[in-house]
Amino acid sequence: MKSFEWVSPTSLNDAVNLLKSAPAGDDADDVARAIAGGQDLLTTMKDYITRPTRVVNLKGIRGLDRIEGDARKGLRIGALVTLAQLEENTLVRSHFPGLAEAAHSIATPQIRNLGTVGGNLCQRPRCWYYRLEEVICLKKGGSKCYAAEGENKYNAILGGGPSYIVHPSDLAPMLVALGASVNVTGASGKRTIPLEKFFTLPSEGSIRRENVLQNDEIITEIQVPASSFAAHSTYLKFKERESMDFAISSVAAAVELSLAKVVKQSRIVLGGVAPIPWRATKAETYLTGKTLSADVLAETARVALDGAKPLAKNAYKVPLTQTLVRRALVKAGGMSA
Amino acid sequence: MQQQQAPPKKKKKIKVPKVINGVETMVEVEVDDEGGPVWGPNGKHAILNHRLTRVDAPLKVSGAAEYTYDKNPPGLLYGRVVRSPYAHARVIRIDTSAAQRIAGVKAIVGATNEDVVEGSNRAADVAEKKDNMDLGSAKAPQKKERIVRFAGEPVVAVAAITPEIADDAVRAIKIEYEVLPHVVRAEDAIKEGAPKVYPDGNLEPKEKRGDAAKVEASFKEADVIFEAEYRTPILHHSCLETHGNLVDYRGGDSATVYASTQGTFTIPGDAAKELGLKESAVTAVVEHMGGGFGSKFGIGIEGKFACQLSKQAKAPVKLMLTRKDEFLLAGNRSGSWQKFKAGVTRDGKVIALLATQYQLGGLGDGSQAGQPYIYTVPNFYRERISIHTNEDASRAMRAPGHPQASFGIESLMDELSYKVGIDPVEFRKKNLKDEVYHRQLDRGAREIGWERRNKTPGGGSNPLKRGMGCAIGTWGGGGGPQCKVEVGIARDGSVSVAVGTQDLGTGTRTYTRAIVAEELGLQINDVVEHIGNSKLGAANASGGSTTTASLAPAVKDAAVNARLSIAEKLSPLLGGAKPEEISFSQGRVAGGGKTLTWKQACAALPSAGITAHGEWKSNLQSRGVHGVCFAEVEVDVETGHTRAIKMVHVQDIGLPLNRLAIESQINGGMIQSLGMALFEGRVMDAALGLQLNPGFGDYKIPGSFEIPELVPLIDDEDKREAVIGVGEPSIIPAVGAVVNAVFNACGVRVRELPITPDKILMGLSDRRTV
Amino acid sequence: MADEQDKKPLKKKSNHDPGRRRFLKGVGIAGAGAALVDHLTLSTDAKTESATADTGAKPVTRNVNIILDVNGQKRTVSVEPRTTLLNALRNNLDKPLTGPKLVCDMGTCGACTVLMDGKPVYSCLVLAVDAVGKKLTTVEGLGTPESMNSVQAAFVEHDALMCGFCTPGFVTTISAYLKKNPNPTLEEVREACKGNFCRCGTYPRVFEAALAAAKKS
Repeated sequence: MKSFEWVSPTSLNDAVNLLKSAPAGDDADDVARAIAGGQDLLTTMKDYITRPTRVVNLKGIRGLDRIEGDARKGLRIGALVTLAQLEENTLVRSHFPGLAEAAHSIATPQIRNLGTVGGNLCQRPRCWYYRLEEVICLKKGGSKCYAAEGENKYNAILGGGPSYIVHPSDLAPMLVALGASVNVTGASGKRTIPLEKFFTLPSEGSIRRENVLQNDEIITEIQVPASSFAAHSTYLKFKERESMDFAISSVAAAVELSLAKVVKQSRIVLGGVAPIPWRATKAETYLTGKTLSADVLAETARVALDGAKPLAKNAYKVPLTQTLVRRALVKAGGMSA
Repeated sequence: MQQQQAPPKKKKKIKVPKVINGVETMVEVEVDDEGGPVWGPNGKHAILNHRLTRVDAPLKVSGAAEYTYDKNPPGLLYGRVVRSPYAHARVIRIDTSAAQRIAGVKAIVGATNEDVVEGSNRAADVAEKKDNMDLGSAKAPQKKERIVRFAGEPVVAVAAITPEIADDAVRAIKIEYEVLPHVVRAEDAIKEGAPKVYPDGNLEPKEKRGDAAKVEASFKEADVIFEAEYRTPILHHSCLETHGNLVDYRGGDSATVYASTQGTFTIPGDAAKELGLKESAVTAVVEHMGGGFGSKFGIGIEGKFACQLSKQAKAPVKLMLTRKDEFLLAGNRSGSWQKFKAGVTRDGKVIALLATQYQLGGLGDGSQAGQPYIYTVPNFYRERISIHTNEDASRAMRAPGHPQASFGIESLMDELSYKVGIDPVEFRKKNLKDEVYHRQLDRGAREIGWERRNKTPGGGSNPLKRGMGCAIGTWGGGGGPQCKVEVGIARDGSVSVAVGTQDLGTGTRTYTRAIVAEELGLQINDVVEHIGNSKLGAANASGGSTTTASLAPAVKDAAVNARLSIAEKLSPLLGGAKPEEISFSQGRVAGGGKTLTWKQACAALPSAGITAHGEWKSNLQSRGVHGVCFAEVEVDVETGHTRAIKMVHVQDIGLPLNRLAIESQINGGMIQSLGMALFEGRVMDAALGLQLNPGFGDYKIPGSFEIPELVPLIDDEDKREAVIGVGEPSIIPAVGAVVNAVFNACGVRVRELPITPDKILMGLSDRRTV
Repeated sequence: MADEQDKKPLKKKSNHDPGRRRFLKGVGIAGAGAALVDHLTLSTDAKTESATADTGAKPVTRNVNIILDVNGQKRTVSVEPRTTLLNALRNNLDKPLTGPKLVCDMGTCGACTVLMDGKPVYSCLVLAVDAVGKKLTTVEGLGTPESMNSVQAAFVEHDALMCGFCTPGFVTTISAYLKKNPNPTLEEVREACKGNFCRCGTYPRVFEAALAAAKKS
């Protein structure tokens, strides 16, 4: 790790100012970094992928570590809420089960004890090339995405180009499915961003980042609205190594069924397959008004992966993700497989 | 003048394994041809062949055991290496000026041609032989060039007062390279015009055996002819304690080296050479060590650097490799690429086999047991060939070459059994001469419930498909005459046993105590062992499963001598009983109708107590073991995920010294082999020449959820009253068993490891399109 | 939204970039950017920085003396902001600890697990300055060779260790888990220690030991 200044402000204002006023580093990315759990940030620093000049500790700021709300009003989740807190919260478990499942699926108990909700949304990609200190790839200011023609079995099948990273967050697909938004505070004030608009494709936003957050901005809260489908939400994550792995593919799903078991509305968001949580809008539309029969599920899964453009070594992600879509909908719809 | 001499002891010549850098070769030695001590029947031991808890366990579970990595003397400096990021390059210039200016940086070595440190073990040897050849340009170099041949090869090393500052120094050192063409894939390395890893090319023939013409002729007799290729990637030992040493040399004429090594006695010589001291002036200390699996012999490149840094700084330097270093430059298990053509008759006899066995050891030779391995095939022809690439040299890794060979032949045998429609177990028996395998196959089949096996691979409508498979392995595991053991008995009744050997977590400490305790009729905790120090009696390095078969006989011999020696002293107190007739059991010494407690007996000793010595006795050990593994797995054909359900390993081992520890070791072998089957493999980028997964996040060793029900079975039908090592055998067959179980479950034959979900899913989709 | 920071040209291209190799006509330079001469002086002077790393809004740039509460003792230790808790415990403490092991240094293997306010965390992924004010327990604080806790005793009894390098991490993780769930199933034990890796292959006996310790306590 390169040395840095450590500062632990107690107010949001101070934190924002400290982020903004940090001395410049060697690279555009070597600026100030906010640290909460640090479970991803420190790994990027140890690998010299990021070399912040200043690290601003957010944990001294009060009031950001609570989960509030109820099934009727929705959830307000402080950015400093740990993943362990989230998965164990009874309100979350009973009314937003998919969110508890997503939290539980992350990493290991040790990481969930420190890792925060805000940090999980802001974690950096796991692409092999990105994580190697020796490689200056497109995401690190270089000229090339090495995964495009290299070893890409874990890379994007949807929304890729010019970078083919996948977004590693497990909470992100679920929160997008639940229609969540984030409250952000920065030097130029506060804003609320729907999570779907928070993440950016490499072709749209800065190639160096995965979201719209400015250097001086801090996520303070995640708002999850009450919805008719939140209670019927689920998160299925597929890992190569069950004990500890990032998602090779995951599906966050939620459905609202009529008494006649007809789908009134649904949310299907794919994780681990695109540079952002990938909402399968066409599949959601297709599903509306239908019952969850085997044929409908198969067609929904097919539509959800419409437009997938696998790279040389990741075509398997298409059938894999289709399976997860089907299984997630079965689970969310309360059916037996 | 003629003196009267004792008649010379009868001698005999026997062949014993000698392990060099973890690889076994057989050498002839002369040993006493006499009865000597015996173990007695395997079923009649008071302590041995029971379930003994580890004597070092309380220290380890409480964090009090000090490993090399934990040593922390005052004034300690932390060492780090600077690695080449290029797979093949010439070092042009090294600029350390910025690093030298960093406060707290105390030494930098390797920066000038005068203190060039060669590449890692095998690479250094080869480089020395071949380095005179010019690799880059037409002209021969005038001075010694520095060529790096793999990405990760250490070029420079630094020492600083904290590891954090050492990291700064690493990144402040600028090295200019002239980049040379590289090749990191076997299939690229054999192409015409491929960049040359060594001047004489990338292919190095290792062995040719058998009669190719005869094999071709006998294919005509076969009912089925089948061809297939099998591949395994390069694997990593993944020792939790990385390679490294703490070299404490502050000038003067002696030094101490704390080493994470499998060979206490491989350290002083290596270190002395670097420090310019006599070998006897260097003491190696290996109290506890955190895993080696074949990769830790000698001080290695990191140890050479540590010596130089310590010498330069006149301070103790601890240079433990970082985890990334460990993946990139601390050796690996060679990959394999095996091509077979086999002919089999309808009644299940394999009558002809052609095998081309490529060993993928990077800069090293790699290893692979010759095919048809344990099987009897009347006509076979094999060629073993090393393919060199610009990757770190392979090292020995737990049963070098055997898991690869077993996976290859066991996959082939399995495929053949399905081709001719014979039960895979029965098919194997038809081609196995050794009856021990037959008995072990039957036992394993019973234990796993082979009769429940899926009759139609991939059949049924449930996406979760279960299947079973089996495979077989063999190993040597005999010992040699290196160990010198001393047993001491003091007048206060305390007993010690001393030998410089090391305990890798295999249980050496425990059985060393146990052998002495049993011989003297004491409890295991009545004896204290002193090991892990090169100032103690000599011992062999722990490689090739030779430790137990080398050490235990010498401990036994010393213990017997100690018993006879104390018995002789006690004879007058025990009615003049003959020493060999005095019994030692349950803390009592009895003879001539009298009984003494151990304390009373020892109180009668001279003030210096008793010291007895022991040496290796060939009759107390044996070599040659058999093992079979059965696995049951469940494959989700809609996700490609494979889960191991149950694994059974049956292993013969002669006299099991400690059943608890042996079972643990068999479990460990199965788990590492499972990792090879389903998860592990080095991934290289061909264009960049870099390893892409040099960490535990991306190089996936099995964790808590990957562990099936494990059944380690010691084959007690083996009545040999002799000890044999068991470290290696248990890792060999499980990989084949899992692979064959996957096929039995889902009908997809994966011929390239590891069996990750992508391969299952793509295999299924290929099958659908066929 | 475009990121303004990204429009700044790279200050220097001294970073090694294999991708740029070809443009450099076969000559590459490896090594990191500017050397860090400042900020690194290790000082034993307690006044170097105020011991307020946990609360102050003033940046700490160099060595600082902090107080860590380790196994019930308040211990002063000099660290840099970047010193991990693991390194602080193993290297910087006056009497260094040996229980938490440095294995992956990336929060994947669990050998460095310590308890922070009773919860298992990876001490390699915690900055020492960020551990001020927390109650830290290492494996040494759970029991000694002479007086082991129930988990340690069960590990010995069930041979739940071989080389032993992962063992302190497993013991720490499981000891904390059994306080939370005194009567776990095998699956729950697997879940509890999925963040701890062993290479020797002791898992089956680690599970046995955990279940046995649960029964005893």
